[in-house]
Order: sequence, then C-alpha cells, then structure tokens
Amino acid sequence: MAYKTIIGLEIHVELSTKHKIFCNCPNEFGADANTLVCPTCLGLPGSMPILDKEALEYAIKAGIAFDGEISKLIKMDRKHYYYSDLPKGFQVSQAEIPFCNGGYLEIELESGTKKINLERIHIEEDTGKQIHSEEGETLLDFNRSGVPLIEIVTKPDMNSAEEAKLFLDKLRATLKYIEVSNVKMEEGSLRCDVNINVVNSDTGEKSNISEIKNLNSFRGVVKAIEFEEKRHIDLLESGSNTKKETRRWDEAKTATILMREKGDASDYRFVVDGDIPPVKIANEWIDEIKATLPELPQDKKTRFVESYGLSSYDAGVLTQTKELSEFFEETLKHINDSKLVSNWIMGDVLRRLNDDEIEINQSNITPIALADLLALVRDDKINNNTGKKVLKEIFDTGKSPEVIVKEKGLIQISDEGEIKEIIKKVLDDNEQSIIDFKNGKDRAIGFLVGQVMKASRGKANPQLANKMLLEMIKER
Amino acid sequence: MDLTSLKAWEMKEKIINKEISCKELIEAHIRKIEKEDPDINAFITLNKDEALRESDKIDAKIKNGQDIGLLGGLPIGIKDNIVTKNIKTTCGSKMLENYVSPFDASVIEKIKYNDGIIIGKTNLDEFAAGDSTETSYFGPTKNPINKNVVAGGSSGGSAAAVAANMAALSLGTDTGGSVRQPASFCGIVGIKPTYGMVSRYGVVPVSDTLDQVGVFGRDVKDATLILNSITGYDKKDSTSSKKSDSVVSLANFKEDKDYLDGIKIAIPKEYMDLVPADKKAQEQFNTAMKVFEKSGAKIEIVSIPHLKYAAEAYYIIMTSELSSNMARYDGIAFGHRAEEYETLDELYVNSRTEGFGNEIKTRIMAGTYALTGAQNKELYQKAMRVRRLLQEDYDKVFASYDVILSLTSKDLPFEFNLTENNLIESYRANIYTAPANLVGLCAMSIPIGNVDGLPVGMEITGDRFKEENIIKAGLGYERAVL
Amino acid sequence: MITKDEVLHITDIAKLKISDEEISPFIEKFDKIIEFVEKIKVVDTENVEPLYQVNEDNYLLKDDEEDQILNREEALQNTKEQKYGYFKILKVVE
Ligand SMILES: [Mg+2]
Ligand SMILES: [Zn+2]
Repeated sequence: MAYKTIIGLEIHVELSTKHKIFCNCPNEFGADANTLVCPTCLGLPGSMPILDKEALEYAIKAGIAFDGEISKLIKMDRKHYYYSDLPKGFQVSQAEIPFCNGGYLEIELESGTKKINLERIHIEEDTGKQIHSEEGETLLDFNRSGVPLIEIVTKPDMNSAEEAKLFLDKLRATLKYIEVSNVKMEEGSLRCDVNINVVNSDTGEKSNISEIKNLNSFRGVVKAIEFEEKRHIDLLESGSNTKKETRRWDEAKTATILMREKGDASDYRFVVDGDIPPVKIANEWIDEIKATLPELPQDKKTRFVESYGLSSYDAGVLTQTKELSEFFEETLKHINDSKLVSNWIMGDVLRRLNDDEIEINQSNITPIALADLLALVRDDKINNNTGKKVLKEIFDTGKSPEVIVKEKGLIQISDEGEIKEIIKKVLDDNEQSIIDFKNGKDRAIGFLVGQVMKASRGKANPQLANKMLLEMIKER
Repeated sequence: MDLTSLKAWEMKEKIINKEISCKELIEAHIRKIEKEDPDINAFITLNKDEALRESDKIDAKIKNGQDIGLLGGLPIGIKDNIVTKNIKTTCGSKMLENYVSPFDASVIEKIKYNDGIIIGKTNLDEFAAGDSTETSYFGPTKNPINKNVVAGGSSGGSAAAVAANMAALSLGTDTGGSVRQPASFCGIVGIKPTYGMVSRYGVVPVSDTLDQVGVFGRDVKDATLILNSITGYDKKDSTSSKKSDSVVSLANFKEDKDYLDGIKIAIPKEYMDLVPADKKAQEQFNTAMKVFEKSGAKIEIVSIPHLKYAAEAYYIIMTSELSSNMARYDGIAFGHRAEEYETLDELYVNSRTEGFGNEIKTRIMAGTYALTGAQNKELYQKAMRVRRLLQEDYDKVFASYDVILSLTSKDLPFEFNLTENNLIESYRANIYTAPANLVGLCAMSIPIGNVDGLPVGMEITGDRFKEENIIKAGLGYERAVL
Repeated sequence: MITKDEVLHITDIAKLKISDEEISPFIEKFDKIIEFVEKIKVVDTENVEPLYQVNEDNYLLKDDEEDQILNREEALQNTKEQKYGYFKILKVVE
C-alpha cells in the first residue's frame, strides 16, 4: 500500500535583540545562572512588562521576509500552564491575532521548486531553563526567561524528511540573511516541533497527528520524521491508530517516546494581557523596516538566474546562505566565468563543507584562492583532477593554489615531446592492450590512458594525451 | 494639642513654619498606633525605625533652609499590596507572609521623592479581593468609628489608619471600589483616579485593567495633596497615560471660588430601580443633593442602561484577570512553598492550597471557570464587549454633564462575618463603584453624614482625566456644609 | 448545576485542592456564582468590539534602554531553597 506523509512544523526562533522582550535585562546566552534577571522576567509581584521595540521590529522583519501579512494591531495574550521554568504561571504570547498571517518559503527539490506555506507567525516570550543536580533536584535558571521568540507555524505542506530538512535550511538561511537570530540549534536559539501523520493513498485512512518535541538538531528532525513515518504506517497496518499525542525524540534510543495525550487547547485559558495595551502598527513603520532588509534569498536567486545564466536549482543552492552567495559573487570578481565557478562550488566545495559540517566562512578557502585555482584549470595549467586535489589541499592547509602547485610540482604537462616519451613507454609495456584495441576492444584505450596519466603522476594534459595516444597506437 | 488629629495640610504647614518638628509628628503617630492599633488592626507592618530616621532627615532639611516636597514630613500608610524594598509586602496573605520585594513601587518612589514618610504597611483583604478587610490572613480591621462594624475593603487598613489618626494620609488600591467604599465606611475622603493617572508599577495586581492606586485623606484638600504627589506618566507602566502629566495640582484650586455654581450633575436612574440603597443612607444623599442645588448646581436624572449588567461584567473580568495574576504563586521563585510534595504538581497544588485563603480561592476558581473552554467566549469576552457598551453609555453622559453623583455604597458599614452568607448580594454591592473601574473614570467618596453613628459617603464620579471636576465638586460641597 | 467532575477539572487547572468535606458546599456556592455571571449572556453584543483597555490611545514601546538587572542575591532572596545560584526544587517524581 502507498502512504503519503504529511508534515507541519512549529519553529521557535529566539530573536537576537539587545534586551529581553518585556524588560531591560540583556539578551545573552551563556551567563552564570540568574545573573540576567529582574523583577519582570522573574515574574515578581508588582512587576510589569513593557514591549520591546526592537523585538517587534525583528519579528516584523521576519514576517516581511517570509512575505506574510503584518497585522495592524499587536495584541498580547496570556497562555496559562504550570511548569517550573515558567515563572508567572503564564507565557505572554499571541492567541487569535498573530502579528503575521500567511507567508511562504520555497524549497528546491530535484523535481523543481516547491512552495511551503506558513499558517502564521506570532511573538512570545521564552521560558527559563531547568537542569538537574547530581542529587536529582531541579535547579532553575531564569536568564532565558523573557527572551523574545517568534513561533513560525507552517501549513502541513511537507511530505518527507528531506523536504522538512530543506525547509529548515531555507528558513535558517533567511533568518540569518535578515540578521534577526543566531539560529543556533545547539544553543536553543532555533527549536523545532514536528507535527506528523500519514494517509493511506488508496483508502484515504489517516493516522492521528503526533507532535514531536525536544528536537535539537536538523539531523534529529530527519531521524524523528523517518521514525514516525514508519510508526504511523505500522499503526495503520495493524489497525491500531492512537489518539493525538505529544512525543519526544530520544537521541540515545533513536526513537520517539510518548509524553502525553494532547490536552484540550482551551485549558490554556487565554486572557488579554492587561498590562500591555495593544500597539497599533503604522504602515510607515512597516515601510521603514522593509527598507532596512537586505536582498532576500528568493530575490537573489532570481537575480542569479537572470544575471549569471544559472539553472534555478543551482541559483537556489548558491543563495542558500548569505555567506555562500557572497562567496560566489566575490569569486566571480576575480574570474569571470559563472558556469565554472558555480560548477565547482556546487560540486567539490559544497561536498567538502557538508563533510566537515561547516559554513563557507568557517573554512580555509577564500574567493581569491578559488578564483586562482579555477584560472589554473581554465588555462590548462593543471587538469581537472589535479584541480580537485589542490582544492582539497587548500581546504586542509589554507595555502594558495600557486604555492600548492609549485610545492608539489603539479603543473600540467602539455609538452608534446614529454607526453610522447611517456606514451611510448606505456605502449611498449602493454603489447596485449594494443592487440586488444586493434581487435576492436575499445575498453583497452581507457586502460592505456589511465596508464599514461599514472606514469605522468596525473600531470599529463588529458585531452592531449588522449589524442596523441590514438595517433601513436595507429602507428604501431 | 493632639497633632495626629490635624489635617495633613495643617501638619505640613506647622512643619514648614517650624511650629513642630517632623520627628515630633512621627513620634505622635507612633504613640497613637501603639495605643490604638492593637485593637483596630489597621497595620500589618510598622516602619517605626525607618520613619524616625527619615523624620530626622526632613528636620535637617528644614533646618538647612532646603525646600521640602509636597508631602513634607507627613506620615503615610501604604496598603500592603504596594511593594516596598525594605519592608515586607504580604498582600494580607499567608502566601506572601515573609515576602520582601527587591524593588520599590513607582508610587513609593514618588512618596519618598516628595518627602512623605512611610509609617507602615496597612491591612487589606487577601490580595485586595474583598470588601470588608475580613479575608486578611492577619485578621480583620475594625472600623475606628464603631468597632463593631467593618472598615470596608479591600483597603480597610488604609482607611482606618487615616480615620483613627494613625496616619495623616494613605494609599490604597481600587479595583471595584476598594478605596471609595472603605473611605465611605470610615467617614473620610477617598479618590480613585482615572485609569492611567497613577503608575501601577509595583502594585500587586488583582485585575490589571481595573486596578488603580487611590488615596485617602481627612478632607478633599488632603486627598488632593497626596494624589498630586503620585500622579504622572511612568515608563515602567505601559498602561499609565501621558495625559496624567497634566497633574492634579492643589495650586489649581482657589480657596475662595464657588465651585458648585453652574455645575452640571447627572443622577443615574438605574441606581434607584436596580439596587435600592439603605433608606436612611438614601435620605442623607437627598439632603446632600439639596446642598448642591442650593449652591447653583443643575441636577438631572439620566440613564446608563448597561449599569444593569455592570456587576456581572465586573465580576467576570475581575476574577478572570485575578485568576491569571494569581498563577505566579506556585511556591517556586517566591511565596509560600509546601513542605510536603512528591511531584511538581503536588508542589503547586499544596503550596497554593495552603497559601491562599477561601475567598481568593473562590475567585481564582470563578475566573478559571470564566476563561475555560466555551466560557472564554461566552463569559470573558462577552464581559469585555459589555464593558465597551458601558463606556459608550458613560461617554454620552459626560458629553453633557460634569459629574455623576450617587451614594458610594448602598449599605452602611456592616457587622463582621456577614459577607460569606450573602455572597451574591455582596458581589452586587459594588454596583455604585465598580462601573468607574470598568470604564476607567475618576471617582471620589466624600462623607455626607451619619446614620445611627455610622458614616455615609457620597460618590462623585467624573470623566476620564477630569479629576479637576470631581475635586471641585468635592471642595465645593465641603465648603458649602462647613 | 455544575457537576463534581467539572469542579474538579477547574481545581485541577487552577492547581488548587478541595477536600471531600468541602466539595459539596463549594459546588452549592459555585452554582450561585455561575448563575450570577451567566446573566450577562442576555446582553446583545453583536458587532460590539471587546474593550480591552479603557484608554485605547495608549502606545508605548520600550526602546533602547539601559540594562536593568537584579543582582543574584536579590533575585534569590524570596525563594525557599537555592543551590549554586539556582532556584531549587527537591527531587520530584516526573
Ligand atoms: Mg509557542
Ligand atoms: Zn528581566
């Protein structure tokens, strides 16, 4: 039977404002416990919240970047629940009127571009953090309490772990572009919950949605989705569909674990926060904010297609992060060949970055080094394979391509006399291959070229060597 | 001469004129408190040592010829739900029995800035939820006029302290009448200013959209003096208004002006139909009306149709917001924590069940109910809509009238232990006062006489940010009956 | 008439406990309260916007202020138990 997976995401993003959302405590990560707190973020009796302008501005920036509709009125509500890291017994959030409705992000699939729609984005405050002492006591730190968050809720538009991963990549990239968040999952500044179920494509039978919490890496998101997909299908196959439930991802067990059956949302007892009068948002302010936004990934992608003649897919990948797109354009300043630069970045450069799990700006390579390397390749100073080796060397050592080529003696042999000598020796040593070739075994030529390249330690100009080899075989 | 029986403005004059020292004044009040308060129970915490130290500073200022502030050297009682940095703030609850705030409320900063001296923290209904000061964890406050009846509430301690000459002036808070009703019961003047006139920063909230700090004095001038010193926009409170900067300055009120001549007064007919007041109190009110009439006021009957549902709307909004505000008392970062618990849930439930008294629990339950499930829309949001209708009603009246007059309370000060048996009736009893909170109006209670030795208060209600009108009417009345 | 289960649901989310002896007088009282507040349902509020703030002109945002924090001692001064600068709760069963 065929099943379709349906995935929606809820992503909490901490905004990197100077201060917390309702008080003047610094918004910083990693300070000593309870040293960035005040009456307001501790929820002390008599304390009052004042909505931070910068937090609202950052949130609106994100709303604009995702092409959502910004509400004319910002109204804050209290969402009540009890948890030890929630000092007031409620979280100030937005209930029926989020500051931003709709919006979307596009992801690049092999099959083409897919639009992932957003339901809404609302602004809220973060909670404190709890840790457990060696004796098993709960210890509470409220430094994070009151850090501004936006919660981005997607429509259930994703159908695979791959799509969810691409969406998160794009989301993270966009938030980084507009500089409203550090988006570091390991520091908790980006947190993701997954809502997932499956539908039997033949019968239309659906499994009930489960919400997966506690995902602290993109890899965890992917693994949790894959785990749940299978679990939901098994449930349907065995006819044991469960209730809506909340589960958490357990990295050690590589499994999701039941937390609770989903409570009735109305138990949150939403009430308007009487201490925060609704704020009217002037169009002029939205325009001002819009004017401060950098070129967004989507616009940049279109420009890359138009100006550099790239495919939509390539342009999408190259604009994935601000750094990568800037690296690409900077490289082009030194070598005016967008296809060549794009091919190399899309290929070996990104492969290496993925292997190392780093961003381009964290690596040893610079736009000038890549441009110089590609100039060597373009001018046949080194061949393609050697170029790849040099690239690896640049990544490993940070040396310039010229230095690497010189140190290792990698300059391509394009001297016909020198190549002729090598070919002659190879042919002398491989009589059988010559016979095979003449008997119509084309494969033999590949073997002989390989031997020539080997004998030249990879430095022979491959096109030249190929051409000369064919000529010299015929002469035999 | 008993210094404590003077009006606050008289005490201040004597200090400035060096007839008495500030220290003498404070000492006289401390003696008074030590003598009277064990019986009346107006104070939860006395601030004796600090008050004496502060009085020395005021005396030094005067000696050095420095200017002193509006409240120069006057002993002020502070309702114990207004946080003070060095004095406990209990809110009259076991929950906060030992709570010491790490910051001062903005009104406390203003009192200090204006050279007022905090003499102590006054008793109140637990978390200011009540109308008799009987629900205080620290015991009820007796009415100084007649110790067999309540002082009113929830600011009963603040009212009793001023009425018994244990403080010259005091601060209360008013969510539905909690300043005006005890002022009426204790025979003094109480003002609840317009919502947004006074900062709520540091005021432990009952209901954020209804609460306002109010003041008590022995006459209108006294009450205006202290109101003058605490109004003003505060950037720590988003609900405080920039309009509050047009301060209620005593200097704006001339001694010789006849304020009642030509003033336009509205009397809502709904009060007579809806919630019949005590007959004898009503007679006192009618007598007071004649004073206004004789002095040239124009009095007309008006209709405020949605008054009919004001008590319900008030109760729903007040308890909803209260239940939200009480959620923070979970025994973790502050407040009472139960000794016994095995789960996090037990920590919450046990701490809250032990720490809160019955009335506050009932209100938490009522508010939780109003916000849960379908009731959120049918009760809570409905009440917010009725609130708008009520505001529109009042806006219409104030388009043509300067002030509205009524009794402050339909009842005379009552005996102890009555409320619990007349629960719903007690919820309706604030119908004279709660509308001002729902709409955000300013209102004053002023004594107009006695019935069987029990004080009767009249309420003068004005439009938002029109404190000037109620003060003028109050001063005019006081002068007319003098 | 509100049921016992409904009342217990409210106590549950309000984190309060009502003892077995208290429950039936409480239900009686709570019923009166509900009867009282439900009177509001008859008001026609169609096309009436809720009034969340009496002064609807308020507009205030916090803009680039100085840092204002408590020192750790002040932050912890009212908690019953603390450890290493954290607020502490004894080991609980989750
Ligand atoms: Mg959220
Ligand atoms: Zn803070």
